[in-house]
Amino acid sequence: MTGTASPQFRPAGSLNVTTALSPYQGPWNARLAAHLLRRAGFGGSPDDVARTAGMPLDAAVDALIRYPKADNLPGAPALLDDHYVEERRMLAQAGSRNADDASVQQIKMQIGKDRQKTNVSMISWWMNRMINTPAPLQEKMTLFWHGLFTTSVFQKGITPKEAVDQNWIFRNNALGSAREIAHYVSRDPAMLKYLDNARSNRAHPNENYARELMELFTLGIGNYTEADVRESARAFTGYSVYGPLRGGGFYFNQRDHDDGVKTFLGRSGNFDGDDIVEVIYRQPAAPRWLATKLLNFFVYNEPEPQLVDALALVIAKNNYQMAPTMSMLLRSNVFYSDRAYRSLVKSPIEFVAGTYKLFGLTAVTPETLGALNRMGQVPFHPPSVKGWDGGATWLNSQTVLVRENFVNYLVTSQMMMQASTWLTMGPPPTAKDATDKLVGTILQGDASPASAGKLEAYLDGADTSALGQLSGENFEERMRGAAYLTMAMPAYQLN
Amino acid sequence: MRRSRFLLGAVSGLTIAASTDSFFAKALAAPALPGLPGGGDDRVLILVNLQGGNDGLNTVVPYGMQQYYRVRPQIGVTPHDVLTFNGQIGLNPEMKSLKAMYDAGNVAVVQGVGYPKPDHSHFRSTEIWQTAAPDRYESTGWLGRYLDSADLPETNLFNALAVAQVLPEALIARKVDVPAIAAIQGYALSSDKMAGERGAFSSLARDTRAPFSSPYLGTVAEIEDHAQRGSEELPKLVAGYKTDASYPATPIGRSLALAAQIVGSNLGTKVIYVQHGSFDTHAAQKGTQDRLLRELSDALKAFYDDLAAHGNDKRTLTMTFSEFGRRVAENASRGTDHGEAGPMFLVGGGVKGGIYGDHPSLDDLDNGDIKFGVDFRSVYATVVEKWFGRPSAGIIAGDFPTMALLA
Repeated sequence: MTGTASPQFRPAGSLNVTTALSPYQGPWNARLAAHLLRRAGFGGSPDDVARTAGMPLDAAVDALIRYPKADNLPGAPALLDDHYVEERRMLAQAGSRNADDASVQQIKMQIGKDRQKTNVSMISWWMNRMINTPAPLQEKMTLFWHGLFTTSVFQKGITPKEAVDQNWIFRNNALGSAREIAHYVSRDPAMLKYLDNARSNRAHPNENYARELMELFTLGIGNYTEADVRESARAFTGYSVYGPLRGGGFYFNQRDHDDGVKTFLGRSGNFDGDDIVEVIYRQPAAPRWLATKLLNFFVYNEPEPQLVDALALVIAKNNYQMAPTMSMLLRSNVFYSDRAYRSLVKSPIEFVAGTYKLFGLTAVTPETLGALNRMGQVPFHPPSVKGWDGGATWLNSQTVLVRENFVNYLVTSQMMMQASTWLTMGPPPTAKDATDKLVGTILQGDASPASAGKLEAYLDGADTSALGQLSGENFEERMRGAAYLTMAMPAYQLN
Repeated sequence: MRRSRFLLGAVSGLTIAASTDSFFAKALAAPALPGLPGGGDDRVLILVNLQGGNDGLNTVVPYGMQQYYRVRPQIGVTPHDVLTFNGQIGLNPEMKSLKAMYDAGNVAVVQGVGYPKPDHSHFRSTEIWQTAAPDRYESTGWLGRYLDSADLPETNLFNALAVAQVLPEALIARKVDVPAIAAIQGYALSSDKMAGERGAFSSLARDTRAPFSSPYLGTVAEIEDHAQRGSEELPKLVAGYKTDASYPATPIGRSLALAAQIVGSNLGTKVIYVQHGSFDTHAAQKGTQDRLLRELSDALKAFYDDLAAHGNDKRTLTMTFSEFGRRVAENASRGTDHGEAGPMFLVGGGVKGGIYGDHPSLDDLDNGDIKFGVDFRSVYATVVEKWFGRPSAGIIAGDFPTMALLA
């Protein structure tokens, strides 16, 4: 967060800032179509890529920005919140003081079981939505906002329903106004609990939300003072949440609110929290912070300050509206540049959802959720208020082993055997044709001739006594093994 | 080739037949490490994270303070059970093994360790202890910065190692890729069992001659390569280590057994990170914490018995830490809530046994929490300078005096 002395993962080469955000006019092909689908969504099947490549670039971006309604997707799971409330009531009656009492232990065990069940169902629900949605950019932006305005379910008493409700704020405003999202989040029960604002009052203002709102969500360190933190914390006093036994939900507690005059970022007034959000989004640092986050998520890491400034100007001109901003970014020269291509590390969610989509698989399994956890990213569970660091922090020898083993699990799973995927369809091709198909479909050709040759030798099996030559008998198994090997190549870890 | 094999056998007692072109062979063919006190290059730090916030007051018990029994009427440790250090303080009765090590002069207890403006969030406070940066977000860990500065051989995959599923922030470095290994058994490519794939995998996964450029391409290929070779070789490298020590059948017992195996296999490992917990005892604290402290204490005893039997105890320093201590007053559920300062233990090699720092006052509190007397960065700086012999500047930001903990 403090910035490093020299950028380590900024792409080599130099930026032409005057043309960076101008519309890209170069050739349009399957390779770039796949790039667009990976970045603006979660990748796609070979058919998705072909369809996108078959449209003009403008139409492909329009289809992502003006996304269809996703009403046909399954709704949020039943979240057992009612059970929680009932169990808490029972717990209160049984007397929580007497913690060793058998009946209390029984209720606690049941709460633990329900919590785990709910956890699995909500994570699966969102993952399956990312995989199956007809509006991938909507889900991608939802993930972006989730990583920016972070909240982690179950911490600080945040219920599954509250976490999912917050998730819908992000989804409903996916390409809406960043400022509006900040307003919604400032009244969001999950956030107010997560950052301790729900218990903040005029006598003891809690600074946690006020601080993180500026430090992590909107401005960044150095763009406000400690006095601004204290004053804005006063403004947010009384932004509170009803307890679960009273049905939950936001309420403004007038008695706890400090309605005196505050001086905040050079302005004075008897501000409330919404006034604070308005003042924040008038700071020049606000569009720059958002531009930095968008570029790191969608284009490349450690973007040049000039590029940040150029995108910040677009954001400010569009009054923080994301639809025109993303529309420009996804058509821009910098987005399709060689410098941006494969310049990001796939997050575990991108890696998993993308692999599912590649093979037309639709429903995540418990094994997949376990793998996500060991890769270091579980939706609804960011590790801290600053979200996922991403980039190089996704990769270490353990997480890479988990990635490889996940792919191996998937290509050999029952699910895969039952799905009629492109991988094993049609008559057995020659080893050469199979290699071209794998490298083309999985990596868009991003493998060296040497690696393609190794893959072909594996497929052919001629040189290895262990395998035997490619035949109708061993074709399916060999293709699965070869798909795994193709996905072991470095390009598959990169977005 | 014969010569190499002979050297390997002579140096580490490994029974593996490593080929000469393995870079491990080169690392292992280096002269035997002396394993003597005061030796430099062979020193190892074992960092034990007590996850969840360990209650310091029921670990190092201030049984001589009347106030302790007033604020801990239900969960206070009965005076005659305390394993006394002196008339004021003593250890939790479940830590008999550690007490014996203390009596032998091998344990330093640092009391009241914390940092200014303590954060009560598990995550943020853990991050603060791991990065040694309470006042800003830092992308590398304190031990990661040590590893980067120590000029370690780039060919060694095991310069440091975390016995964990996910690499802890303390070991995140810029130059050194530290493997996180939950257990030797799980640290493997599942495809290794598949005929023909292993060989193809190793060359495909580290191919950087791709028809695109990416700032991450080299990193990905390097880590894939490390993961593949490391998972293949580590089990063999440590397989020759034999021990008679009887470790408790607990997660911390297994973690420290693996640590002893790695130390004893002379892989050039400087830091091993293990974790133990969860100490987040908001309710019914006594049962949970007593069990965890007993497990820790007994595992440390087995660990040092094992190390000593192989002559490795003097070059192995163990340090515990937890993201925070807990609230002074017990709560209504016979537990304690998140607090601030707590004690640290340093065990084994180099330690000057004794009690360091004053026991924090139980009357002069910060909103119900103990105030810290020793900044944890002083302890870290001591380890960096006196154990590893590196300047702490650039590793621990700020000016923190070292302590007399280590000889």
